[in-house]
Amino acid sequence: MPVPVGVLRLPRGPEGCSRGFSPTSPRFQALLGGDAVTTTAAAQGARAALRQRYLRGLAAARGRPTRFCLRAGVRVDAVFGAADVDAVAFQVDALQTPLGVQAAALLRCADVLAYSFLLD
Amino acid sequence: MAMRQTPLTCSGHTRPVVDLAFSGVTPYGYFLISACKDGKPMLRQGDTGDWIGTFLGHKGAVWGATLNTDATKAATAAADFTAKVWDAVSGDELITLAHKHIVKSVDFTQDSNYLLTGGQDKLLRIYDLSKPEAEPDVVSGHTSGIKKALWSSDDKQILSADDKTVRLWDRSTMTEVKALNVAMSVSSMEYVPEGQILVITYGKTIAFHSAETLEQIKSFEAPATINSASLHPAKECLVAGGEDFKLYKYDYNTGEELESYKGHFGPIHCVRFSPDGELYASGSEDGTLRLWQTTVGKTYGLWKCVVPEEENAEAAKARTTLPGTAEEEIEELASP
Repeated sequence: MPVPVGVLRLPRGPEGCSRGFSPTSPRFQALLGGDAVTTTAAAQGARAALRQRYLRGLAAARGRPTRFCLRAGVRVDAVFGAADVDAVAFQVDALQTPLGVQAAALLRCADVLAYSFLLD
Repeated sequence: MAMRQTPLTCSGHTRPVVDLAFSGVTPYGYFLISACKDGKPMLRQGDTGDWIGTFLGHKGAVWGATLNTDATKAATAAADFTAKVWDAVSGDELITLAHKHIVKSVDFTQDSNYLLTGGQDKLLRIYDLSKPEAEPDVVSGHTSGIKKALWSSDDKQILSADDKTVRLWDRSTMTEVKALNVAMSVSSMEYVPEGQILVITYGKTIAFHSAETLEQIKSFEAPATINSASLHPAKECLVAGGEDFKLYKYDYNTGEELESYKGHFGPIHCVRFSPDGELYASGSEDGTLRLWQTTVGKTYGLWKCVVPEEENAEAAKARTTLPGTAEEEIEELASP
């Protein structure tokens, strides 16, 4: 009976939402040097701040009437509900469509060009 | 003791993997890039399959991906009508090259100074990467969308495949040197510099042609439609995969089918040997890449050959024979 070849471990997969290319890897350090690490730290800080602002923006939109500009010149109004963790889809309530009002719907973020809502 | 192949599955992509390429051997090992319909090509360590990073920026399916020899640069071809050049160490996007239609194939010259692209607009483009804003040299002649475009003969010639033809072009004159009509739609093409061999697949056929004359050297028929094939660097064997989800290994000299492996859950779109020939990678419609050993049972990368029964038997044999041998030797020495 053939014995399956043993394996030390499985190949490592992507880490969460990170795009990888770790600045601490030996290849990065050798080829791009220390300067890149410090600029990367500053860039990471900026990214974190922008991300936090974006998440606060999503939270502020919740429950507000929102206008979505979709591809092909389509505009729809709805009440903003929530976004999924990767911002792949927005959940909305009371979506106004030519066919009537959809009580709950998902809008594909890839199709949303812009959205706007009024702050009080 | 018979060993059974244990493929290593690399997950991470969320859509079919349509192309993959290895770099050359670098001081940090060799690397693997995969092109995927999810628009996010990934870089992996070649011998382990460990994910290193994802190139983010394309807005459509990525149809082709390649690395330069020392894996410092990557290039990708996508359905968003662009080809992009990336820093493969930092993951940063370096250059975006706008095209008029879906781009299917990209290839660096050996010095990484020029990029060849080909796609649905039926034109081959040669970009000088030191002057990315300059207009590329354009080579026309194909009558259907280009599926693959490769540099050959020390970057002095270009090989390109469309639906039904494979063409050889001279780089300096930008003119066609030879054309080969293929019976069925070409599914893949690989250029092997040592020996100037062109590997093309169409229908159930895996064919080998001279890259200089396009004359056929030999061809094999597989049991199913083949989408991709790759020749081992030492030209001892080749691997192929296609629509029946299986990988086939053939002896290059005799054409004998040596092995076939199941494992993927969808058609195999691309297969490539590593630069040292110790493993081959396959990309599938099922969204995974799998790494397979060329010599099953050899300790390499993440594969470790551990055979407990044999080890115990060897140890037991050593214990029983040693004292006996010593006694026999003493008797021999004592006898007159």
